[in-house]
Amino acid sequence: MPDVPPDRMTDGELIARVGEGDRGAFELLYRRYARPVFALALRRLGDRGRAEDAVQETFASVWRSARSYRLERGPGAPWLYAVARNAIIDRRRARVESPSEIPDTPSADAEPDERAESNWTAWRVHSALGDLPDNERVVLELAYWSGLSQSEIAEYLQIPLGTVKTRTRTALGRLADLLEDELT
Amino acid sequence: MSGPDFRELVGDDLPSEERARLRRVHDQLVAAGAPPELPPALQEAPAAGGSVSWLPRRRLGTALVLAAALALSAFAAGFLLGKGRESDASAFQPERTVVLGTQGQTAVVRLGKPDDAGNRPMLVTVEGLRRLPEGDYYSLFMTRKGEPVATCGTFKVSSTEPKDVRFTVAYDFDNYDGLLLAEYRAADHKDHPLLHTDI
Repeated sequence: MPDVPPDRMTDGELIARVGEGDRGAFELLYRRYARPVFALALRRLGDRGRAEDAVQETFASVWRSARSYRLERGPGAPWLYAVARNAIIDRRRARVESPSEIPDTPSADAEPDERAESNWTAWRVHSALGDLPDNERVVLELAYWSGLSQSEIAEYLQIPLGTVKTRTRTALGRLADLLEDELT
Repeated sequence: MSGPDFRELVGDDLPSEERARLRRVHDQLVAAGAPPELPPALQEAPAAGGSVSWLPRRRLGTALVLAAALALSAFAAGFLLGKGRESDASAFQPERTVVLGTQGQTAVVRLGKPDDAGNRPMLVTVEGLRRLPEGDYYSLFMTRKGEPVATCGTFKVSSTEPKDVRFTVAYDFDNYDGLLLAEYRAADHKDHPLLHTDI
């Protein structure tokens, strides 16, 4: 295992640590992925209560199954996506038992290709957003999801308009890097 | 939601390759939509161990909420807002914009110029708010020291989609220091704070 601070570890490295029973790695993974899992569950289930259950079952499954993850077989995000998807499918079927088989890569066997693609895109974007510095993430959130213009963001954050523009562009570039890295 | 104007975000001076790269990210952000805020029950990682289970506690809460919701069914409906329409935020000329929440559940409050008599138009764009049970509704308040003092108006939503609501108020905003969005629950006749910000 490379000697890097836990918060700079890749998803795969964290999962491997979780497989060794590392509680700190588990909490970091939760912090990175709880919202993307919840978002995915909400999109698929359309119900907050059942989505909460799916998040809980996903991370219970991660804790139990992390030992089966192999770093050399691929990055961690698709593995986590598959675990989450299985937990959500289980929740949709209203089964009590948690997923028993964790695939290595996401498959689209239970959902139409277009929706699977859309869910996968949202998953990647939401998890990559979590890796942005706070001051960059907030300008994107305000622009994209609160509907504020660049001037309104400047007024709201009480920073110069030029700073908002620079942060926005930098944030988009960093997000592009993160999303491209994930595919390599 | 169509998302912000890409040109406004990145300007016109980027090399074409970089512009295309950022455009792809822009499209992905728009397609992904806002990630929801985590509910309180999910704020902390579960207690890992041989088995992770705090489902019963949450389900007990769900059962209580369900029971409360059922008890509310006797209350008559309040007023409903019109059906969803295209956002008119772009046509509104705000003098000031205040945001409550940052994602998941948001209320963007745009304050227009007051007329000669001192009536100030207010355009509120809410998103991510849940449809409330019969008899319940959302209220927007002006606050002083965090306490609701004056009501700007009340409304309902039919889904979590963006919704524009217009109010007119006659207040002098200098007399207040914040805005509060609250859920009025008929079950206990109380306003339950949801989003708050200082102004």
